[in-house]
Amino acid sequence: MKRAIAWLALSATVVMLPLVPWIAPPALIQFGTTTLLIATLAQAWNIIGGYTGYASFGNSVFYGIGGYGTAIAMVQFDLPFGVGILLGGALAVLFALLLGLPVLRLRGHYFAIATLALAEAMAGVVSNLDIAGRNIGLILPLRKDDVLFYELSLALLALATLIVYWISRSRFGFGLIAIREDEDAAAVMGVNTTLFKSLAFMLAGFLSALAGGVHAYWITFIDPVSAFDITLNVMMIIMAIFGGAGTVLGPLVGAVLLASISEVLATEISAMASLFFGLVIVVAVIFMPRGLADLARRFRSLGWRYFRENLRLHRL
Amino acid sequence: MKPILAVDHITKRFGGLVAVNDVSFDLQEGEILGLIGPNGAGKTTLVSLISGTIAPSTGKVVFQGAPIAHLPAFRRSRLGIGRTFQLMKPFLGLNVLDNVAVGALFGTGGGRSQLHRARDEAAYWLEFVGLDHRAQQRADELGGPDRKRLELAKALAMNPRLLLLDEVMAGLHHGEIDEVVTVIQKLRSRGISVLLIEHVMKAIQSLSDRVLVLHHGNKIAEGPPQAVLSDPRVVDAYLGSRHK
Repeated sequence: MKRAIAWLALSATVVMLPLVPWIAPPALIQFGTTTLLIATLAQAWNIIGGYTGYASFGNSVFYGIGGYGTAIAMVQFDLPFGVGILLGGALAVLFALLLGLPVLRLRGHYFAIATLALAEAMAGVVSNLDIAGRNIGLILPLRKDDVLFYELSLALLALATLIVYWISRSRFGFGLIAIREDEDAAAVMGVNTTLFKSLAFMLAGFLSALAGGVHAYWITFIDPVSAFDITLNVMMIIMAIFGGAGTVLGPLVGAVLLASISEVLATEISAMASLFFGLVIVVAVIFMPRGLADLARRFRSLGWRYFRENLRLHRL
Repeated sequence: MKPILAVDHITKRFGGLVAVNDVSFDLQEGEILGLIGPNGAGKTTLVSLISGTIAPSTGKVVFQGAPIAHLPAFRRSRLGIGRTFQLMKPFLGLNVLDNVAVGALFGTGGGRSQLHRARDEAAYWLEFVGLDHRAQQRADELGGPDRKRLELAKALAMNPRLLLLDEVMAGLHHGEIDEVVTVIQKLRSRGISVLLIEHVMKAIQSLSDRVLVLHHGNKIAEGPPQAVLSDPRVVDAYLGSRHK
């Protein structure tokens, strides 16, 4: 019965979401688009960070490449948006492949550190490329259609979530989880770890790039600083983990919740917003370090003890 | 008889330490070969050289007539080499059934492609090792003995032709050891070849067709269990020469 209600609520949400632009005010549509795009990024990160266990701080680079690929195709070569975004996606896949070969050999913290410097490096590279408009950036053709961008973003998030759903119940996904839990054990059980890690990284890169492409066209402007923004990467990781890394719906729920909290704080107490937002994150990490998905699964049997046990695990 | 596995003058150096020194042996099809030796003798290193988690400094490994020393671990497991880890490596975030399903999904010949088929097979192997009542529990909820069983089931689900068992009985009590001995006997009757690392001499004696002894990385004896275990060099290696 409870399951049925949950499914009903989920289906209702899925049906309602595309209809939002026809009833919501413009500000809400814009907030919705931003949220859907960052939820897509969190979901893409979930593939490499949540399922494969490689905490990438370089996914915002794919986002930037997607944006620049789209912008360059549209501005310099007069190509349509559809071609541009696919070009951006292809560039990101290529970049993930070439980058992954060396950095995916690093494990744990070393992988995180190796990817951390990428955003800065890419911003530096792009700032010196004529075709990318150097440090001034590019202005894309104007298309004033917030509803279109909302629907595009929603479609992207749906695509990313469907892919993660497939991963969660496929041979490929089991291989990724085995790599996350113990890479040596995965290898002796027959998992082609190098191939699987690379595929996961490319998939995450592709989806992130699509989000970057939609964002660039929507904002009609792209420059190195905003395209390769490390805080964006931090945001997608926090959202994915807050909701539950390595689950299908966790990153999505985490992104929507945190984006909403952040938005409310920004309008209500603008000056102190980031302080309170930080407080929310800290409290969440202390009391539910494995995210909302784990809370939902275990709160029923443990009750309030769930929070006490997490607190105890931190040895605070 | 032709050997399923031939290890030919294999050596592994870690810096200045020679962990395995010029060891050669054959393992026949359907045979159970016991591998014993004091702690630090190089037994686990030898297993890792065969399974491919580490590469040999020199020497050859031939499996079913083909050289495999240059192959990565996952390719060797697809050829039919399964192993367990002495320091067990369960996939903690997965439940017990899905831990074993990974073996069925990726093992010999590339495994199965469909998850539900793999889970069916996993259920079979869980029952085989007596862990079916824990199928839905998370792996991190298992105690030591059950983790040993899980380790064994994961390797079996790969459907291996050769099974490398690294101390699957360590830490088990008598009754549990007898259960694992029965499991290994059942494997023998299915024609699976086994390399059995074990400190439990009762199990080595009752299961092994032959026994190979490593000491400081060198092979010091090889032969039928009774003869090897009473060999003075083997007794010296285990008890030290001062016991006389």
